[in-house]
Amino acid sequence: MSRQLLLATLSVVALNTSPALASNQSDIDALRAEVAAMQNAYQSKIQALENKIATLEQKQTSQIAAIAPAAGTNAAQSIPATSKRRINDNSFNPEIGVILQGKYQNFSEKEGDIAGFALGEEGERGDEGFGIDETELNFSANIDNLFRGSTTIGLHEHHGETEVEIEEAYVETLSLPYGLHGKAGRFFAELGYLNSHHSHADDFADRPLTNRVFLNNNYNDDGGQLSLILPTEIYAEIGAGVYRGEDYPAGGADGNDFGTWSAYGRVGGDIGDNASWRFGLSTLQSDKVSRDGNEDTVNFTGDSDLYIADLRMVYAPTGNNADQELSLQGEYFYRDEDGTYEDSDAGTGAINYDGHQSGWYAQGVYKFAPQWRFGARYSELYNGDTPTGLNGSALDDGGHDPWAAAAMLDWTNSEFSRARLQYNREELANGHEDNQIILQYIMSLGAHGAHAY
Amino acid sequence: MTYRLKKLYKVIAVLGVLIASPSSAHATVNIFACTPEWAALAEDIGGAHVKVKAATTAQQDVHHIRAKPSLLAAMRQADLVFCTGASLEIGWLPILVKKAGGPNVQPETEGWLMAADYVEKIGMMEHADRSMGHVHPEGNPHIHLNPHNILTIAEVLSTRLALIDPDHRADYQANFARFSDAWDKNIVTWQKQGAMLNGQKFVVYHNAWAYLLQWLNMDAAASLEPKPGIPPSAAHLEKLLTTLKGQNVRAIIVTPYENRKAAEWLSTRLNIPILDLPFTVGGNTEATNLTRLFDVTLGTLTAQKVHKNE
Repeated sequence: MSRQLLLATLSVVALNTSPALASNQSDIDALRAEVAAMQNAYQSKIQALENKIATLEQKQTSQIAAIAPAAGTNAAQSIPATSKRRINDNSFNPEIGVILQGKYQNFSEKEGDIAGFALGEEGERGDEGFGIDETELNFSANIDNLFRGSTTIGLHEHHGETEVEIEEAYVETLSLPYGLHGKAGRFFAELGYLNSHHSHADDFADRPLTNRVFLNNNYNDDGGQLSLILPTEIYAEIGAGVYRGEDYPAGGADGNDFGTWSAYGRVGGDIGDNASWRFGLSTLQSDKVSRDGNEDTVNFTGDSDLYIADLRMVYAPTGNNADQELSLQGEYFYRDEDGTYEDSDAGTGAINYDGHQSGWYAQGVYKFAPQWRFGARYSELYNGDTPTGLNGSALDDGGHDPWAAAAMLDWTNSEFSRARLQYNREELANGHEDNQIILQYIMSLGAHGAHAY
Repeated sequence: MTYRLKKLYKVIAVLGVLIASPSSAHATVNIFACTPEWAALAEDIGGAHVKVKAATTAQQDVHHIRAKPSLLAAMRQADLVFCTGASLEIGWLPILVKKAGGPNVQPETEGWLMAADYVEKIGMMEHADRSMGHVHPEGNPHIHLNPHNILTIAEVLSTRLALIDPDHRADYQANFARFSDAWDKNIVTWQKQGAMLNGQKFVVYHNAWAYLLQWLNMDAAASLEPKPGIPPSAAHLEKLLTTLKGQNVRAIIVTPYENRKAAEWLSTRLNIPILDLPFTVGGNTEATNLTRLFDVTLGTLTAQKVHKNE
């Protein structure tokens, strides 16, 4: 650019200084020749300079290349020469990830109430038709050498309205000694298997009945959790947390004491190179709960204690899950509650309640081709004795144990995109026979952290 | 923020501050090696003073590993995390380190050795987009099949072990010297043996072979994957069939963990053999250590009568 400008100026100057003198053709020709000669001379000089610059540049890069590995080998304590990577101002920005989940759902039954159980808002059956279901925005980054922070903002559609929920907002430790790990803020508590996982990592389009009923899909409350991996050959981990007691199945916390706490223990290991397993026991203890369910028509006030056992096994030939993998997973839930239940729709008034409910699910997912998986799941709930005062209310199961069965087929193009077709058969109350078809996609944009076991 | 949350943050902050001096006296150095080649190298250089846990086997695709319980338990004990880096283990290693790794095995510490940080990488990108498939903007991470890289890493490792376990510094240096002498001689032999491969065309499944091909100046004619990390599709294979017909392709190279179906399909139609290379230590019964890995690899590649799959 500048070279062309220079030449143009030179020629213009050359021509302009002698317009009057150039009275005949030969003068003009001579002048032209002179200008052309000048042009050539400059051109070759510039070319030579350009060549010089190129050689210098090459030398520099090869010098850097020679230094980089050597610097590493000579002084391994001064961590490697990644200096060649360009550092931009935005290198310290948080990792940003977006999960897009869309669904089409079709149900044969109008209602999805579960006999004998009151449901929290998120545990409810979703809306029919097309919907964008849930959009997750995740921001995370190392804060310094000790802490990492992460927040996930969930945008949900609920009966035609967009709701914003802070699903997670926590700091966690990066490098505690002795196998310790701490988390504080709002997060998915370690309870059973599914609870600590985001729904986009699920193997089915919805959660099993147990997690819908007992945990409102996920228990994510404000608090702190500390875990310890024991220094044993076999994997063994224990942990405990304390929470505000605001999220279902807790609720109505006054925020003044440690109203809700959790504890868990886990063991796991390998069976040869082909299989791995994990078994866990956990509990969530909530005192002085006051929570509403079934669209605020059912209130429970009292103490609610939940116990969970979970087992997961993963098998792949030679442990290579790229082409084939079978995962089996199940959880058992037992809930013991002491307090009062009131169903305002049925006009029961507050009825004393001291009883238990339970349930389980089991599922298997088989990856039969690199991009294809098939899965089946069954879940069932058991309601204990219902006090007579609650007969005819939502807490009365009418002698029916609610169950649901699901079959799904999904296609995963890359680790960032998945499409799924699922069929559910749910019999949640006497005479209730719901056939459901769900079509779903899950897409992950931007940064996407690793998934736990 | 409520009072008790504040209290919790305080507790965690105090715990954080407690992470003090790195312990110096080690009976044995526990090494968490992500892949079999680094496990083998750690055994060679560490000798009797190290206990090595290989997180994966040659039959597993290191891109797709679950952060399973046994790996958490191993990470809990690790004094040195010895992996490839360059995002190769990004799907599982970060979760293990965060959950179970101690203060001495965090990134940028002595106990954190990512081999790919120390060698010149192929295919570094200024720009990367997920539409390109599973790409590593940091460059191709499959660095171990160029023996020069192994030597570089061996030296880094011996220095690092001496830092972590200064009591046995002399042993680590001696082990490296012994390794280096033998390896230098081996490289000469392998390069002589591999000279005939110069300019020969090969089809690969994934660009996991880039460093081997570059070292011996072999030519990668095509990848069976349409894009890195995306399994071979019928359309892509048909295209390969057309473009590779008439080209003098010597063989299709596959790793022990890759699906052979696509390779077999192309092999029959193009009438070229499939070469099952060990890829890493333990990739077949003969590739029992790093030296044998290269012996077997060179031997298979240069064999006059190559096994035909029919």
